[in-house]
Amino acid sequence: MTRLVQSSLSIAIYLLASLIGVVAFLYPFFLPVLPAATMNSAHSNDAPLVLSIVVVLCFIALLVEIQGQQLSAKSVALLGVLVAINSLLRFIEVAVPGPGGFSPIFCLIILVGYIYGGRFGFMMGTLTLFVSALITGGVGPWLPYQMFSAGWAGMSAPLCRPLVRLLRAEGKQAELWLLMLFGFLWGMLYGIIMNLWFWPFVSGPADQYWQYGISLWAGIQRYLAFYLATSLLWDIAAACGNALLIAVVGLPTLRALRRFQARFHFHYEPLV
Amino acid sequence: MKLHPLAWVAWLLSTLVALSVTRNPLYLLIVLLCIAIVGNLSPKSQTRYKLPTALFVLLLVTSCCFNALTVHYGNSVLFRLPEWIPVVGGVITLEAALYGLLNGCVLIGFLLAFQVIMQVLTSQELVGLLPPAFYPIAVVVTIALGFVPTTIQQIGKIRDAQAIRGHRLQGWRDWLPLWMPLLIGGLERAFQLAEAMVARGFASNDRPKQIIGDQIALVCGMLLLLAGWFVRLVWGLGGVGIGAMLLGALLIGLTLWRIGKRSPRSHYRTRRWHLNDSIVLLASLLFAGLLLAPLDLLDRRSLYYYPYPELSLPEFQTWLGLCFLCLLTPIVVSLLNNPKEIGS
Amino acid sequence: MISFEQVSFSYPQAQKPLLEQVNLEIPEGSFCLVVGASGSGKSTLLRCINGLVPHFSGGRLSGNIRVDGLDPVRESPQVMSRHVGFVFQDPEAQFVVNQVEDEIAFALEHAAIPQQEMRIRVEEVLGLLDLGELRERELHTLSGGQQQRVAIAAALALRPNILVLDEPTSQLDPQSADDVLQALVRLNADLGITIVLAEHRIERVLPFIDHLIAVQVDPITGKRSVIEGEPRELLQQIELVPPLIALGKALAWQPLPLSIKEGLRHSRPLARQLSQLQPPQPLKHSDVPVIKLHKLNSGYGQHTVFEDLDLELWAGEITVLLGRNGVGKSTLLRTIVGLQPIRKGAVEIMGRSTRGKSVAEICQQVGYLPQDPNALLFSDTVRDELLISLANHKITGPAALERADVLLHKLGLVELAEAYPRDLSVGERQRVALAAISVSEPQAFLLDEPTRGLDYVAKERLAELLHTWRSEGKTLLIVTHDVEFAASIADRIVLLGSDGITADGPASEVLGASPLFAPQIARLFPQTGWLTSQQALQHLLAKS
Repeated sequence: MTRLVQSSLSIAIYLLASLIGVVAFLYPFFLPVLPAATMNSAHSNDAPLVLSIVVVLCFIALLVEIQGQQLSAKSVALLGVLVAINSLLRFIEVAVPGPGGFSPIFCLIILVGYIYGGRFGFMMGTLTLFVSALITGGVGPWLPYQMFSAGWAGMSAPLCRPLVRLLRAEGKQAELWLLMLFGFLWGMLYGIIMNLWFWPFVSGPADQYWQYGISLWAGIQRYLAFYLATSLLWDIAAACGNALLIAVVGLPTLRALRRFQARFHFHYEPLV
Repeated sequence: MKLHPLAWVAWLLSTLVALSVTRNPLYLLIVLLCIAIVGNLSPKSQTRYKLPTALFVLLLVTSCCFNALTVHYGNSVLFRLPEWIPVVGGVITLEAALYGLLNGCVLIGFLLAFQVIMQVLTSQELVGLLPPAFYPIAVVVTIALGFVPTTIQQIGKIRDAQAIRGHRLQGWRDWLPLWMPLLIGGLERAFQLAEAMVARGFASNDRPKQIIGDQIALVCGMLLLLAGWFVRLVWGLGGVGIGAMLLGALLIGLTLWRIGKRSPRSHYRTRRWHLNDSIVLLASLLFAGLLLAPLDLLDRRSLYYYPYPELSLPEFQTWLGLCFLCLLTPIVVSLLNNPKEIGS
Repeated sequence: MISFEQVSFSYPQAQKPLLEQVNLEIPEGSFCLVVGASGSGKSTLLRCINGLVPHFSGGRLSGNIRVDGLDPVRESPQVMSRHVGFVFQDPEAQFVVNQVEDEIAFALEHAAIPQQEMRIRVEEVLGLLDLGELRERELHTLSGGQQQRVAIAAALALRPNILVLDEPTSQLDPQSADDVLQALVRLNADLGITIVLAEHRIERVLPFIDHLIAVQVDPITGKRSVIEGEPRELLQQIELVPPLIALGKALAWQPLPLSIKEGLRHSRPLARQLSQLQPPQPLKHSDVPVIKLHKLNSGYGQHTVFEDLDLELWAGEITVLLGRNGVGKSTLLRTIVGLQPIRKGAVEIMGRSTRGKSVAEICQQVGYLPQDPNALLFSDTVRDELLISLANHKITGPAALERADVLLHKLGLVELAEAYPRDLSVGERQRVALAAISVSEPQAFLLDEPTRGLDYVAKERLAELLHTWRSEGKTLLIVTHDVEFAASIADRIVLLGSDGITADGPASEVLGASPLFAPQIARLFPQTGWLTSQQALQHLLAKS
């Protein structure tokens, strides 16, 4: 009974956090269609800021739920080491002017989430972004959004599992193709999400459109223009980079992660 | 003397508030100047790379062009683009271009403010800001930060080791012999580290589930946040919205505090809280409150500079402008304390 | 104090139990040494003391363990951490924080010890292990020995009265190993802390211990037995021992000497009768040296490691390079294969300069084994490991398979061909690495610290392999700190000092004359040219 309540509460927290995330990312489109009265009041300018605070708080709540009361030494050590390795990959992104927008960190986040589960994947994504920001000097207002999105990428990776099971593809090429597709999708999605964060600041407060009579569709059109101009190419490069990286290192990495999963998994249960 | 990390966070928050509530170019200029002064005069804790100037220029140009091209509003028409082009077709106005420029300035302010924080605080201090409830995560981050130099050494070893068995880097696939030993070595290392941590008193198994009370508090907190934000934006009920949001934040904060209480830890390095820290904290809070409070205590109209439909000169209220100088408190307190340390 | 009663343990999914009905009694305040081959279950035994086995490892455990009045199986490792400090083999792999002081304080913070108390304890252990000057340093900038002392300090911060160490010096050079051992002796003598230490290089520890535990594996049945007792008595029952003990046992010296000082009491009277010296055989050389170093200069940044070094290495000869830490032994090997740029001078292989050649090209002619062979291995099977090396040298298809099989056979790896390389023991992994670097059938081999972490059996197998290579006419250059190993294999010894080569000649001549690098037998019988216990026994028994 308690377990049922606990899991439904967990699900509620996951859903609420996701909902707030979605609202936060999409709200600029709805601003122009809101009643004029609220627009002229004093709150329009600080809306992005207030929303940022709300997102950060929700993120904290989600992290509390995912972290649990305590993490075992095995989880802590494994996360610490994997996060360190992955954060160093971020240097490649910063130092090597490779394909624009490509970030090698998603490959491991997705593979780790896929093998070790969503909870682990979420922390892997979140903490990779945090640690790499600390070591590359990339702490900025975008950080919570980056952490949130990368966490989502890791958390959603186990969604591939039922498909793989359905195709009986474990350890085969089909599994790799599926993960490559997943990596590709997240490459695009991450770009879109990060743009949405940027959007309210670039597009400015909504009042300039209100007078102009901009509609929901016009807002989206405007975003699309911005997106096409500034980041579509980058995002495609990022998505292809993810897929390519998974294609190259995917199968051996999966094998290594599976091998060690067995080693990390043991619990001692006393003989009664 | 260095300020407490929390005091710096308060300064950062108030700077962000200041940046996001105003589009008045005069006030924005004051904020940017304050950030630059604080950034240049505060003692640096470690060298980190600086954001390139080119990035700032790029931001300004993008933001200016984009606003000008997509907001076809304002009386000072610069030129016209053919109407048939979607989104960008129409009049291009000076007002829209100027507004875009202001947006760009706000963004640059954000970046600079964070850069100051990265300069004055070390990574350890930033990790130390995590609340006690996130102790496991703080340990993960500490391990990761400590493991970075070792991993770099390891990469060198692996590169050499693969070279001596005839490995050459030519194509994509050739990264695999470098990647796999790194990953496998890391996993082995993690296993040994976990064992060492257990031997020193770390728990060997997960205690995964939350306590129901905490979970309920979290759900309620999130609901309140969402509702408050909604009420405030859609119905314009500022007071109610802020109240609900504050309550939600309080609930989440309280839960964090309770979780932290349950597994107490002590700290080897703690920084004492000094009078200076209180001054900075107080100044930052007062300033942010002044800008945000849903009360009409003060006349804040000049914050909302609005160039449409006809470009006008921004208003400037001297006392409000003076309030923005609160952002200089970190430098002022250091200056009062020990003028020699400045800029070292 | 520590007692095992009928303790049996098997790992999860293991067919046979690793420990069977072990009975032990380690007295309070003793300095106890645990010996046994790698894979014998030594580490498992140690991990039972603080509950890591079975709480961390999983598996089934039966029997009764009492440590400091507690049952580690019923309590958890968390509780036991206050009573038992544990130090692991690889110093780097046990650190959580990257700074000396914070690392020591980590366990205290975790246990919520108040700050005031914490400061006192950190000061205390910094003093005990003589780390005061290093307190602000980052851990990855410390030497292995310093790191291991930090690990001991961190384990002691919780004030345990038992300290368990699992091969703490196996990754260290002799100097650092001595520092660590001295620290342990001090802790045992001054504070009465019970020390349980597992070691391979037991010759350095024997003089200090008062209790010995041996884990033995029956070579035929594979059954393990654990015996314990007073060191001198128990050593009579153990087969693989340091040369001094082997000699003492063979000549029935009583009481059995544990140190050179004790051994000299027995050997001096014998040595007086041995007046005649055997002249060392001169080394024969072919016309062209396989590797020739000519006025070689190398260094890192501003720092010059060696200057104007001349050295010629010949076919069918094992040369061992000895020298203190930091004189550039490893750098020399790295310079020969091109991993370290040549500043001045030249390296010639078979009479041709290596200038302009890539590392991969040079390594087709010269096989080089780095200190840490783990960095080489990443495949799923041992066979794959060889095939990858072959593919690197552009050999693929059936020819590659055939060649891989020949190599596996030659190195005695046939049974392990399908095993996961990372699951193998240190010795086996090293053998796989050797196979991986020798696929191109190089004329010369350079080995950097090949005996690190090896037990006696693995060392003997390595020596056999090296002798096979020598008889095939290969050139071998070996860098090591292990003088006993050097004594057993070297034809020629080169001593490297901070200003170049200080001695170069036949092993018996150079090793016998060096106060720093003389092996135990040479110390017992100076000026005889004997280096190993076999040589000494041969002559002494022939005489009598």
